[in-house]
Amino acid sequence: MLKIRGQLHFEEKWPSMEPVVLKLLVQDHIDNNEWQDLFYMVHSVCLWDEKGAHKIRDSLEDLIIKFIKQAQKRVLVAGEEQALLKAYIIEWRKFFTQSSYLPLPFRQLETSLQTKSSSSSSHINNNTSKKSSSSDDTVVRKLMLDSWNQSIFMNVKDRLQDSAMKLIQAERNGEAFDSQLVIGVRESYVNLCSNSEDKLEIYRENFEAAYLQATADFYRLKGNEQLQENGVQSFMKYADAKLREEEARAARYLEPVSATGLSECCVRVLIGDHLPTLIAECRPLIEAGETERLNLMFRLLDRVSGGVDPMLNDLENHIVSAGLSDMVASADVITQDSEKYVERLLDLFRRFSKLVLDAFNDDPRFLTARDKAFKTVVNDTTVFKLELPTNTTARGTKITTPESKCPELLANYCDMLLRRTPLSKRLTSDQIEVRLRDVLLVLKYVCNKDVFMRYHKAHLTRRLILDSSADSEKEEDMVEWLREIGMPADYVNKLARMFQDIKVSEDLNAQFRSQTTRHDAINIKILNAGAWAARSTERVSVSLPLELEDFIPEIEEFYKTKHSGRKLQWYHHMSNGTITFANNVGRFDLDVTTFQMAVLFAWNQRPNDRISYENLRLATELPDPELRRTLWSLVAFPKLKRQLLLFDPIVQVPKDFDENTVFWINQEFSLVKNGKPQKRGKINLIGRLQLSTERSQQEDNQSIVQLRILRTQEAIIKIMKMRKRMTNAALQAELIEILKNMFLPSKKMIKEQLEWLIEQKYLARDDSDINVFTYMA
Amino acid sequence: MHFLGMDDEDKSSDNEQSKPDKMFTLKRWNSVAMWSWDCSTDTCAICRVQVMDACLRCQAESKKDATNKDVTCVVCWGECNHSFHHCCISLWVKQSNRCPLCQQEWSIQRLSS
Repeated sequence: MLKIRGQLHFEEKWPSMEPVVLKLLVQDHIDNNEWQDLFYMVHSVCLWDEKGAHKIRDSLEDLIIKFIKQAQKRVLVAGEEQALLKAYIIEWRKFFTQSSYLPLPFRQLETSLQTKSSSSSSHINNNTSKKSSSSDDTVVRKLMLDSWNQSIFMNVKDRLQDSAMKLIQAERNGEAFDSQLVIGVRESYVNLCSNSEDKLEIYRENFEAAYLQATADFYRLKGNEQLQENGVQSFMKYADAKLREEEARAARYLEPVSATGLSECCVRVLIGDHLPTLIAECRPLIEAGETERLNLMFRLLDRVSGGVDPMLNDLENHIVSAGLSDMVASADVITQDSEKYVERLLDLFRRFSKLVLDAFNDDPRFLTARDKAFKTVVNDTTVFKLELPTNTTARGTKITTPESKCPELLANYCDMLLRRTPLSKRLTSDQIEVRLRDVLLVLKYVCNKDVFMRYHKAHLTRRLILDSSADSEKEEDMVEWLREIGMPADYVNKLARMFQDIKVSEDLNAQFRSQTTRHDAINIKILNAGAWAARSTERVSVSLPLELEDFIPEIEEFYKTKHSGRKLQWYHHMSNGTITFANNVGRFDLDVTTFQMAVLFAWNQRPNDRISYENLRLATELPDPELRRTLWSLVAFPKLKRQLLLFDPIVQVPKDFDENTVFWINQEFSLVKNGKPQKRGKINLIGRLQLSTERSQQEDNQSIVQLRILRTQEAIIKIMKMRKRMTNAALQAELIEILKNMFLPSKKMIKEQLEWLIEQKYLARDDSDINVFTYMA
Repeated sequence: MHFLGMDDEDKSSDNEQSKPDKMFTLKRWNSVAMWSWDCSTDTCAICRVQVMDACLRCQAESKKDATNKDVTCVVCWGECNHSFHHCCISLWVKQSNRCPLCQQEWSIQRLSS
């Protein structure tokens, strides 16, 4: 039957297929019948003619090539750039559109050709290709695109590229043109690729490469011109604008995958090539605080890897030198006045933090550089220093390592804010809070935080004992803030305990008073020695006035009924009171220390006598330094026009009192207001409450060092107990991590303490490696 | 002296104008004392922490609550007069009912409060 019909051979069918295919190619109208017949004919030829499929393909190829040749002629006629592009694009668009339709009738070829070549590659391709519209990788389509590629594209691609690049260059020079021309060319590059593994191969190797090359050439030239003609600053603006412009242009003319390549290319030419010039500009800009320009510079340099590093250095150096010169310039003021010092520092911080924010968008790298610089400024020792003996064992040699006095001044400033002072009265609660937070901010940069802790605690002790806190709530907030910034827990806990002790004492006091009605004059503070006292054995002997002495056993008796197993130690150097002084002029209330009280009460029996130093010493039993200090505070109190005590012979310093110096009460004592002596009044003669016995600053610092040594040993043991075996380097790193919230241990100290611990057989050096320590339990 | 002191106090409060007998009279005294556990050693021989501070265990457990620490970690005296944190010795006697320092049989003399 089939042979009878005999009309299914290719040769018979092709003549009627050919015109339809041609019509399709030239986009002529075909009617439904023709369209459907084409399907049918392809189908039947493939089924009935053994070699039908191949024959159809070959003929189709011829036909397509012939068509393409014609198209090529049309394109080449248009010789000149824009016209060439235009013609090419018209032809290409047409052809490309048809490459979606023409394959449809020839679908049958797929299966026929495939079964014969038994290749399943097209299947895989179909599966892997993302644009899985079925027409994509058909044989016919591939045939069409390959033919186009070989016969027309290969011939004109260089001219196309050149033309397109010329257009882009024209656009860069400000001439407008139809962007569709370039886009069309690009599309043909992208779609022509028949390599299904890498769809963009042709595009990348030709179009993208040419584009990048053209861009680089253009800007190499223009960039240099700009730099030469208008200088660095306008070049920066130029580069920034062009980078953006090129990115926008790339989004139009290039495939999205090329965006990074293009911007790298632009960055290389516009920034990389001019890096030294740009970097040289950073320093002056930072010094002038030109935030906008710096911001621009930052954005530019940040595009080059490692580009901002020199900028970081410049910033750090500038902050350090600006900060230090600021400090040195106002050395006179700030060494005396902690408020001014802290405000100077904060001013500096704010200035540069703002710079980092405005110019560098708070970029973490710049924040680090800023922090490093702040640290240097804060811990600098040129303006003032705290001399710490490096080694307690070498006491005679007096080697000292200077440290910044900053923590001490910070603590003083805190005290001014937290105590009732003119400063704290002037400020609102919120303002005080802001300032305290500022202090904590500065404290963050301080290396020797242990010094701050010591001074802060001393100030707190005074405030609590003299009841001179401006705001007890703020006091407790401050403790929590210190906890938040990572101050050692045992330290913060002790501070918290101090507040608690004060409350406990208040309760105790109330009970004491209610039990014995006649003790309204007495206020007792019985505090936890562990939390309050730095050294437990510190006590000054004094013979109390009888008025006071009598209360002591009574209080002790009372305390015993409240607690058991506790012993009390009186801290008379901390205690204080108010006495009324009556003389010829009038009556005055004096706030005095207990020591001052002991001295003054010596005159109660003989108001007009002159008493020698020696006799006062016998009466009060105060140690020599304490007595001198106490007397001096009564004969030369800073604010007084008329002193409470008079003495003879006159000396300039307390240590010049000798045992025959005589003292007597100034019966004409009075407070002088507006040049007039007052009959009534109240004055505080306590001054700075003494927390410890008379000891030199040297000794106080000694104890800081001693504590550091203990802390270091403690930390080494803690680490080694956990690690058992450790290299020197790793140990040092962990040690600093543990100790950094208190102080920065010096290499020398660590080494000394390691040696000591080895001597004491807590640690040993490894036999094989001298840099490895092992823990001996 | 008390008597005298009271006299002054009374006079000055009753009658501001009258001149007191003494040149200096006490109006108010803020006395300060420190308490510590009444024991011969400063450190607890078991945990090696000062007896005034909470024992190691308590320090580790109640980091946040400074209030309870004082209350919970008390000192305990044995008949031998040696003293330890109560927490420490309580754990110790579970193993050996002897004082860690003198090996006498441990019995509690008193607890601090």
